[in-house]
Amino acid sequence: MSSLHSLDIQSLLAGYQKNDFSVQEVAKSCLEAISKKNPQLNALLEVSKDRVLARAAELDQKKSDAQRLKLFGVPIAIKDNILVKDWQCTAGSKILQGYRSPYTATTVARLEAEGAVVLGKANCDEFAMGSSNESSAFGPCRNPWDLERVPGGSSGGSAAAVAGSLCPAALGSDTGGSIRQPASLCGLVGIKPSYGRVSRFGAIAYASSLDQVGPLGKTVWDSARVLEVISGWDRFDATTSKAPVPSYSDALKESTLKGLKFGFCKSWLEGVDPAVQKAFENSMQLLKQAGAEIVEIDLPYTKYSLSVYYLIAPSEASSNLARYDGVHYGFRAPEFKDSETLYNRSRGQGFGKEVKLRIMLGTYALSAGYYDAFYLKATQVRKMIQQDFSNAFKKCDAVLTPTSPSTAFKLGEKSDDPLKMYLSDVFTLPVNLAGLPAVSIPCGLDDLRLPIGLQIIGRPFDELRLLQMARVHESLFGVLKHP
Amino acid sequence: MVLLMLSKEEVLKIAQLARLELSPEEVVFFQNRLGRVLDYMKELNGVKLEAAATVRHVPEDAEPFREDVVEEAFDREAIMRNAPALDEGGFSLPAILESE
Amino acid sequence: MTDLNNKYEAVIGLEVHAQLLTKSKMFCSCANQFGAAINANICPVCTGQPGALPAVNRQAIELGVRAAMALNCQIRNESIFARKNYFYPDLPKGYQISQYEKPFCEKGSLTVRLKSGEQKQFGITRIHFEEDAGKNVHASHGTVVNLNRAGVPLIEIVSEPDMRTSHEAGQYLRALHSILQFGDICDGNMEQGNFRCDANISVRKRGDSKFGTKVELKNINSFRFVEKAIEYEIERQIDLVEKGEAIRQQTRTWNSSKNITELMREKESAHDYRYFPDPDLAPLVISEAWIKSIRSQMPEMPSQVLARFQKDYALSEYDAGVLTATKELASFYEQTAAKSKNPKASANWVANELLGRLNAAGKEIANSPVKAQQLGDLVTRIDQGEISGKIAKTVFEEMFLTGRNPAEIIKEKGLVQISDTGAIEVAIDKVIAANPSQVADYKAGKVKLLGFFVGQVMKETQGQANPGMVNELVKKKLD
Repeated sequence: MSSLHSLDIQSLLAGYQKNDFSVQEVAKSCLEAISKKNPQLNALLEVSKDRVLARAAELDQKKSDAQRLKLFGVPIAIKDNILVKDWQCTAGSKILQGYRSPYTATTVARLEAEGAVVLGKANCDEFAMGSSNESSAFGPCRNPWDLERVPGGSSGGSAAAVAGSLCPAALGSDTGGSIRQPASLCGLVGIKPSYGRVSRFGAIAYASSLDQVGPLGKTVWDSARVLEVISGWDRFDATTSKAPVPSYSDALKESTLKGLKFGFCKSWLEGVDPAVQKAFENSMQLLKQAGAEIVEIDLPYTKYSLSVYYLIAPSEASSNLARYDGVHYGFRAPEFKDSETLYNRSRGQGFGKEVKLRIMLGTYALSAGYYDAFYLKATQVRKMIQQDFSNAFKKCDAVLTPTSPSTAFKLGEKSDDPLKMYLSDVFTLPVNLAGLPAVSIPCGLDDLRLPIGLQIIGRPFDELRLLQMARVHESLFGVLKHP
Repeated sequence: MVLLMLSKEEVLKIAQLARLELSPEEVVFFQNRLGRVLDYMKELNGVKLEAAATVRHVPEDAEPFREDVVEEAFDREAIMRNAPALDEGGFSLPAILESE
Repeated sequence: MTDLNNKYEAVIGLEVHAQLLTKSKMFCSCANQFGAAINANICPVCTGQPGALPAVNRQAIELGVRAAMALNCQIRNESIFARKNYFYPDLPKGYQISQYEKPFCEKGSLTVRLKSGEQKQFGITRIHFEEDAGKNVHASHGTVVNLNRAGVPLIEIVSEPDMRTSHEAGQYLRALHSILQFGDICDGNMEQGNFRCDANISVRKRGDSKFGTKVELKNINSFRFVEKAIEYEIERQIDLVEKGEAIRQQTRTWNSSKNITELMREKESAHDYRYFPDPDLAPLVISEAWIKSIRSQMPEMPSQVLARFQKDYALSEYDAGVLTATKELASFYEQTAAKSKNPKASANWVANELLGRLNAAGKEIANSPVKAQQLGDLVTRIDQGEISGKIAKTVFEEMFLTGRNPAEIIKEKGLVQISDTGAIEVAIDKVIAANPSQVADYKAGKVKLLGFFVGQVMKETQGQANPGMVNELVKKKLD
């Protein structure tokens, strides 16, 4: 069956159990889809046919595992800022071109332990800094819904791979919206877990207090299944929680909205595309019909989210990216005269503009004389934003917003104006600042048949209920048919 | 709207702190860009805070420690293979001019 | 120079970096091991690979808390790990995980004994945790970086600028070194670099309350050099001030072959390390319960061992002081005393004979050719009368040269003391017969000649006669 690559995870697992097809057949189907569509999409940067088929063959030898492994034979694309031993890991940057990962990230190790097949490394904005995948040093990625448009970012390649049916699921990372926004622009289900739910060990750090790794899939069930496999305490990441991980996918059967309240902020809808507003209001109706109550809430400090985020994230990034210096690994400038120029040129030539901008911004914000006014102040306002949500959760069980104020924009449309680009994350940023879990699910298509996303934000470590809410919406709205 | 532009000296000073060699065009670019972004951030000056507390983002139930145990030596070859230059088993580079 | 010393005083502050005696590194499970092959003990965390994260070594914290207690510091129940950002090849992450605004303890003190006998107290400003950097090795065509040392746990102990002479500084360091050793906190091996000292030195006219410009003295890597280096630097500064020249804020090092301090670099404007709390780590919580538990398991501190030696072994303060200079020495002594059951004699043998011999041979107690058991055995044999004290010295010398047991040496050289009255009397008779005039003089009243006869008998018996018995028997025979 040549359309095996289009099957979702749930269907694949069922098929394996019934012996409808082998892992190698599925793998070959994905590889074929990649060779046909990836040249256009540029979703995947490295695909190793040999490794993929070897792994598939290995799994086919252990057919009995299909009964118990949670992701048996499921091909998954991994964002290229997450390490897989012996594969490349460029983070979309020239400065890591040629780098071969010495170890595998905890999240990927857990996927593999449950039988998944690493299919390829997905394109992304350089060092996860961006909302369109246009800052990748290896070319932009295109949205399968409209090839002239961006897939979103920074996990653009992950979203395009799934939306383009190269594979059923992908791992992405989210610091300010980088899983949810591309999921929204590509019609997928993208989950940013609570901070500390999923290990960051092996995920290249951008902003350590905001980063989380999470899944992108076509359905709530699929994304829930990947989430439960990667979640949980990791001894290599001192910021992970020891809270037990329930089976998010199993819990979906009991999804109900009875007695639940959703909060939304009216003022937030100002400035949002009319199509997005319409779809959002439609979703609220669906949720009401399913038995939920909608209440109005206020999140007064979230209007400072952009400033707070663009001080904290670049500050942490300026420190996290100091290791890329051409000394121990990565790009070393071909010409230099001493160690000083070795550093300055390797970094100056290896990093792209947006990365350099954020490093400079962060360096400035942390520097002597500016630390109190910028970095420290931002962390204090961040606490107020966290408090806003705490207060809101006394009145409701989840907060609703559109994921993105617009649908997919054209390549090159926003790249000139930094603030314009940053504003596409206005609904997603506060969630990272507060460390909350959130999911983006499809809730409509605009006139150009471009997907629109609904964001549901939950209480800390309340992923189970969050995904149940998403499932109810999905059961009413349906799953998009991908191009 | 007052657009703030950073001085060339300031940009070069930050660039040196961050070890980034910039072309003259980049310097001008950053003078403008950084200026614009930083100007926007000034809105935080006016924010009144109830308390000076900062956020604690690490979950309360995170494990703070690991035990003092030596684990099996890591496959050093996997690390050394990415070195831009090696000399007798060490990462090599030209002589250091100044030390910290 | 004395006039100048009266006119000026030095102000000295010391910063010590001590590597903690853990098995693994501060933030990863690589071995904390000196002398391994280049880049043998490395992993993604301590080499700063993309995606790597730190995990705090609990034992390192315990050892740090022990140091805090031993130095009477106030421990913070919650302190913060901060990133110190700077670029250097031996710092793979481009930042060092350290502590800045909130170190884990502050405001301690260390009481030190000066050669005058005076006990003086020096303040300790703070102690904080940090990770060590790798090593830059200068090679023919540049620099080579070895990351074995990167990530080794350190505590940085900063003193108040309370020392006023190089002697005070030296004594402070010795006392600190001793405490860290006895506490099993740090090995204190300066040559191996696990106990490193930097000094901040300035001078001012006596009576002045303002501090002079301070000069940083780095890389003092031996106790022998500390006082010399500081003394030289003080004189250098006084000399400049007398000439009316300004002291430049600099970093200098000690050149042990030329016996001078030399310029390492001029101090440019203070580095901007852009400290901020490390977002990969939660605040460090040291609970009262944990502190209590650590306190209850504290190893004996030097002052406690000193007091115990005085009490249990009836040693003088001075002798106890000598024997508690290092943990190994104290342990060696105790084993010797236990074996011989004669603490006083053991103290004498260890403090005088053994230490003297070790110093002359340039050896440390750790590689003493004479083991504690052997020395204790020797003392026992003296006490049992098998050999005299004098003969014992000969035996000891042989033990030191060969490492053999006293029993073996005594037997081989036939050194067993003659305590047989019969044999001694034979020797005495011989001596009396050979020295009639002295006998006559003695009987006439020159009792001092007793010593002469005893000496002759000892000679006659190759020194092996029991001197006490000889004395007794000669007297008997002559009277």
